[in-house]
Amino acid sequence: MSVDVLTAGHYLILSAILFCLGLTGVLLRRNIIVMLMSIELMLNAVNLAFVTFSYFNQNIDGQIMVLFVMAVAAAEAAVGLAIAVSLYKKFKDLNISLFEHLRG
Amino acid sequence: MGSDGFEITINIIKMLVIFLMMVQMVPVLVWVERRGSAFIQNRFGPNRVGPLGLTQLLADAVKFLFKEEFVPPASHKWLYYAAPVLALIPGALAFESIPLSMPIHVNTESGAHTFLFQGYDVGVGIVFVLAVSSLGAYALLLAGWGSHNKYSLFGALRASAQMISYELAMGLSLVGILMLFQTFDFQRMVEIQRGTLHFWLFGKEISLGFLPNWGIFFQPLGFVLFATATFAETNRTPFDLPEAEAELVAGYHTEYGGLKMLMFYIGEYGHMMVASALMVTFYFGGYELPFYSSQSLVEALSQSMSSNAASIVGALLLHVVFMAKVLFFLWVFIWVRWTLPRFRYDQLMDLGWKTMLPWALANVLITAFFVLMAHG
Amino acid sequence: MTDIILFYFLATMTVLTGVGVVMSENPLFSALYLVLSMTGVAGLFFLLQAPFVGAVQILVYAGAVMVLFVLVIMLIDINKSGEKYIGGNAAALFKGLAIGIFSGLVSAVVLRSPIVAKPALSNGSYTVLEIAKVLFTKYVLAFELLGIILLVIPIGVVALSRIKGGTHER
Repeated sequence: MSVDVLTAGHYLILSAILFCLGLTGVLLRRNIIVMLMSIELMLNAVNLAFVTFSYFNQNIDGQIMVLFVMAVAAAEAAVGLAIAVSLYKKFKDLNISLFEHLRG
Repeated sequence: MGSDGFEITINIIKMLVIFLMMVQMVPVLVWVERRGSAFIQNRFGPNRVGPLGLTQLLADAVKFLFKEEFVPPASHKWLYYAAPVLALIPGALAFESIPLSMPIHVNTESGAHTFLFQGYDVGVGIVFVLAVSSLGAYALLLAGWGSHNKYSLFGALRASAQMISYELAMGLSLVGILMLFQTFDFQRMVEIQRGTLHFWLFGKEISLGFLPNWGIFFQPLGFVLFATATFAETNRTPFDLPEAEAELVAGYHTEYGGLKMLMFYIGEYGHMMVASALMVTFYFGGYELPFYSSQSLVEALSQSMSSNAASIVGALLLHVVFMAKVLFFLWVFIWVRWTLPRFRYDQLMDLGWKTMLPWALANVLITAFFVLMAHG
Repeated sequence: MTDIILFYFLATMTVLTGVGVVMSENPLFSALYLVLSMTGVAGLFFLLQAPFVGAVQILVYAGAVMVLFVLVIMLIDINKSGEKYIGGNAAALFKGLAIGIFSGLVSAVVLRSPIVAKPALSNGSYTVLEIAKVLFTKYVLAFELLGIILLVIPIGVVALSRIKGGTHER
């Protein structure tokens, strides 16, 4: 880690910061949609790490993994939003604690 | 950006000039739109201010500048002000990445330089243009939400739903072009479309000397789908449901006036310009003249002038060719707007999902078959 | 030099907008911050010589997924949703602790791995053709599976949004 030259460390630290931010959002927020968005933030951080490794190791596989992650993330967002909308239809709210009603 | 100070300076100036060119086209297009609509509807249109009503544009500009600044009191100020600026960005970013003419090669004391006749080249051509134009939906959504007006919100929701639906058909209709040219790079596509029509079919080479080698002859279905999808993407009639006056006042820009309104206009016409430039680049040979390649033009020019001047003059001439083709498609946009009636919203969605998407998939399959069977 | 300035600009933007995603009162602003954050990450991809992945990031994430989020948020009356954060009880404390420990763990791993000191390279980017060749040979099975996922997901989503109460209908 030096200041005047970009190293893999710069990108990986940034990726770690973003991942932890996303984690904070998932654990501390109560709104389902915000939690889903925090998950997207975490996936973004992972993508950044993948591309960083791909670039610094001269390996193309990292970029392919990013494409897979993006496709799965898009699918996950669609399902998550559908669940959020059906929850909203039923309870007129988006609080995560509403899932307690689903037991049984 | 460039390797030395000279290249960097030229490239920055070039980007600015292309952006200003795009903005400056808008008043001209507004004039063409008004005169064209009058011509189609057998009226005169604006014809009092200046020759052919041309200085009407200046009067309009003054009017836009001096209108009263109005902000709805219940609006989200940030979103309300951000939306018009955002409307401008996608069109500008996309237009800068399309080659408007051939690259210029010049030799100076400091060595040989090559300048692309485009703002920048990101290396992934189409994907970049599709990516930035997909950001256009935000301007509409923010405008609709920010102005705190139910008509604005309805218009914005309609517009963005329409944009994401037709983006799919647009992307798929371009897959045929990608398979045909086997590249993402606009410059390379234009080079492939040089010369007269020739192709391989079941191992036989077929050439038709009376037609240029344009993408439209390989992808007629793809062109129809792409053109239709771009009409929907730019929110122009027959797909201008987001601003259907009868139902929604003026759609997402109901609450906007003056310069902010003008920026939405620039965004819309910028989208139209990008769409026309893409159609020309993919299907109508880009900046190349039919039957007369750019190399022979430069060679003919360098008979009478230095090679630097020949390159610059040739590029400018081909730029005129490109703009002529683009202007034709811009006229088609205006022509369609004043000729066809508006769809109903369910018809619009049906057309997008149940008609255009299957046909685009069929186009991909057919193109794949012929590309695979080209050499038997 | 330019890439260092660009990196720090994009990194600052990404982190600040990331904080915005987590902290915003209004989910709509969270979504808009996330769009900016994703665009910043796409810019970093361009910086890392991966223009295709960067453009796809904007196209898929910023252009499609986030528009979906914004549309859903606009269709829902968000002002009704109650507390913003998990309440101030023991659970929140433990969660904060967990986040701290995890952050420390990740930083330690990142800082101690040998790749960290590797300097930036100046070779060209991979072309789309090279990416496609690997995608359709080495990863073709995963690609096909992904196709199945993307077929199943829309069906599931349509079923989910059409459902009239299901087993929990009262």
